[in-house]
Amino acid sequence: MTEQVAADMAAPASLSVTNMSKSFGGTVALSGVDLSIAPGQIHALLGENGSGKSTLIKILSGYHLPDAGEAFIAGSRLSFGSAEGSYRLGCRVVHQDLGLVDSSSILDNISFTAGFPTRLGTLRRREGRRLAEAALARIGLHLDVRQPVADLSQALKTGVALARALREDAKSPPQLLILDEPTATLPHDEVDQLLGIVRDIAQRGVGVLYVSHRLAEVRRLADEVTVLRDGHRVATGPVASLTEKALVDVLTDGKLGEEIAPPVRSGLAGGGMLTVKHLASGALDDFSAEVSAGEVVGIAGLTGSGREVLLASIFGAVHREDGEVIADGQPVRPSRPDLSIAAGMAYLPPDRKVHGGIMNLSARDNISISGLDPFRRVLHLDRRAETAEARRWFDLLGIRPVSGIGQSLERFSGGNQQKVLFAKWLRRGPKILLLDEPTQGVDIAAKAELHHQIAKTASEGTAVMVSSADIEELTAISHRILIIRAGRVVASLTGEQVTIGDVLRQTIGGELEAS
Amino acid sequence: MTRAGVTRVKPHLNLGLDRFSGLYLWALFIIVFGIWTPRLFLSIATVHSIASEQAVTGMLGIAVLIPLTSGTFDLSVGATVNFSAVLAASLQVDQHLGMWPAILAAIASAIVVGAVNGFLVVVLKINSFIATLGMATVITAVQQIVTNEAQPPPPTSPTWTALSQHDVGGFQVIVLYMLVIVILAWWLLDHTPVGRYLYAIGGNSEAARLSGVRVGKWRWISLILSGGISGIAGVLYSSQNGPALTFGSALLLPAFAAAFLGSTQLFPGRFNVWGLFIAVFVLATGVQGLQFVTGVQWLSDMFNGVALLAAVGFAASRQGARPRRRKREVAPGSGQEPARGEPQDPPSPQNPDSAGTTIPEML
Repeated sequence: MTEQVAADMAAPASLSVTNMSKSFGGTVALSGVDLSIAPGQIHALLGENGSGKSTLIKILSGYHLPDAGEAFIAGSRLSFGSAEGSYRLGCRVVHQDLGLVDSSSILDNISFTAGFPTRLGTLRRREGRRLAEAALARIGLHLDVRQPVADLSQALKTGVALARALREDAKSPPQLLILDEPTATLPHDEVDQLLGIVRDIAQRGVGVLYVSHRLAEVRRLADEVTVLRDGHRVATGPVASLTEKALVDVLTDGKLGEEIAPPVRSGLAGGGMLTVKHLASGALDDFSAEVSAGEVVGIAGLTGSGREVLLASIFGAVHREDGEVIADGQPVRPSRPDLSIAAGMAYLPPDRKVHGGIMNLSARDNISISGLDPFRRVLHLDRRAETAEARRWFDLLGIRPVSGIGQSLERFSGGNQQKVLFAKWLRRGPKILLLDEPTQGVDIAAKAELHHQIAKTASEGTAVMVSSADIEELTAISHRILIIRAGRVVASLTGEQVTIGDVLRQTIGGELEAS
Repeated sequence: MTRAGVTRVKPHLNLGLDRFSGLYLWALFIIVFGIWTPRLFLSIATVHSIASEQAVTGMLGIAVLIPLTSGTFDLSVGATVNFSAVLAASLQVDQHLGMWPAILAAIASAIVVGAVNGFLVVVLKINSFIATLGMATVITAVQQIVTNEAQPPPPTSPTWTALSQHDVGGFQVIVLYMLVIVILAWWLLDHTPVGRYLYAIGGNSEAARLSGVRVGKWRWISLILSGGISGIAGVLYSSQNGPALTFGSALLLPAFAAAFLGSTQLFPGRFNVWGLFIAVFVLATGVQGLQFVTGVQWLSDMFNGVALLAAVGFAASRQGARPRRRKREVAPGSGQEPARGEPQDPPSPQNPDSAGTTIPEML
């Protein structure tokens, strides 16, 4: 690849960005960012959430207008604000969600964007197939284009999306490929396949801007890396010159050194309130753990590690393929949330709009649905008692506005919606509380209140399991953190070990331990 | 706290034109037709006839409404009501069964239909729309087998006709039955846990399931109730009008129209019993008045069809207002709508408005 780069030195850079700036309202998203990618180079773009990566991608793909700065694609000046303009210069973007129609064939998926070849309005099937096969072959894939996309592995799906983006177009040959977290939803064993495809593409002289959070993979794939922080470019350099540790430090501005004192807790009484043995479900392979009454156990793991399905499969929200769940001595049947609840469990799903709340029902109805027995009278449900119960929780959790008790849940802000869903479960006094991304998308104040409630609930004797992508959150509230990698628990961190750096190192993998 | 203006308080000087539009419309019909054709329209006979003619529609409306609260369509009520009506008469006349055994058999068979619907929807997981549509066709075929495509003569016993037509203060007793069913349905949906579960399932069945609601069980029960009520309505129709062979399909649309129109009334956005009750009689009053004035036959169909479309369209436009609002937030402060063909924000499948805090994002 280096020879390729050298050979193309004379050619204009695939991408050249100078002094790019963009603010939203008063918030600076990008500030004077420069970036250059030679043809055939794979350039990784790294940065924390909110560092400006997506803003940069959106500017290049014509979605946002920058406040200042210019960009050249293969030597031609990019006029901003038009997706067509950006495409015409040879810029191709593959987003994380790929944008494929699963039920349609590979052929149709490629043709949706490329256009179906027709004669007199009739499909020219053979010609269409030839074009689709050629598009796949360009990136080194040889697949039967008639099979539905749904049958493909995630890596091959990404491959199809890449083939579609890079298909031949005489008027504007692809010059630059932007990949936004292509491996985020990829199982570990399929990553290599995708990386191979990306290397092939680069070898054809296309510059690649590769956004990922997986440092190990970036180090294996990329030639150069640029790190953004708070909208500024803080580092650019050849990947080979940076150790992973150095990358982590640059990314987080050395914040990993600062530790939040974890709530160390010793001498927990009462054995396992929740026991999970050899649980398997989806990406989860073999998970075993025990949680004591009064203990908060945090669960950390990258996307694809199996963390996402852990709590759902313990509770019975999703299918449990294998293993046992024992709640307070009683085995819990799989896939029966009602029985799990009867056994003293409560589960807060990660997405409150899809699985958590019933948005068109009132806040009160959302709170009381977890158990109507206290409101049953001989012939009816006692509305007043329900309202009183809801009001009590509105006060306890500081849910605003109090006058909204009878209003539909969708009218509340995210943080207050989440508090309502907390109230729904806390009112049952659960023995086991399973919290999946408990503070996703809530503001800082609500987050603090929810953390306070988690600690309080645990101190009253509930066994709590918190699964979160927010490692700071885990270190702040957990007594113990279990790290999941490739479907299994690979480490259990307690006390002094519970630092963001330790958790990160464990979730990302072993390589870091050496440095 | 963001948008979602939690305090979207309605102005206090509100005549409820929104929630009570049906009542205003009803009053308008009565005034307009009362002035137009006072002798025909403004008579107690008109009141009596509208009430008894709409009794079966009202019951069928309830039969449709109960599963609808849980988001389940029952399109088989038209065929079921017809089958029950024909069976109740046929068993008495052709099989010489007593009146009560015949009635019980008719209602029982309707309940079986509901149970089968439930099986198709809950166990086989067939979309309720398709499952009950298929069942409707099957029932119609079974009815043809049973009757041999000949309309059974109506039973002649006076107790049989009195069953629905007995005079109660000028009204046929069937009106009273309808009121009883309406009140029972109101109690069930608004004052018992069953109603809470059904509305929760209708609102978000997955969230309801994760809250411990037995989604399958309650949907099944709602379809059984729907079948049972259709059976009762069929027996009463048969007693009132005779066992016609094809009246059922003509009652299906008015029942749905009333349920959807009713969902724009009193508690907008929510299928509710009294909204349905109002809708049934507003529609009937309008149709009756127009028929007095013009005397044409197609009015009833036209009126019901237009009312259904208007009601559903109205409900859809209310809901459509929300996503549109969100779209505008996609590009905060950019002050421009994305051009067409733009790559949209990669829609995070997990939670559309979270900041997408996945572990890697924390890096």
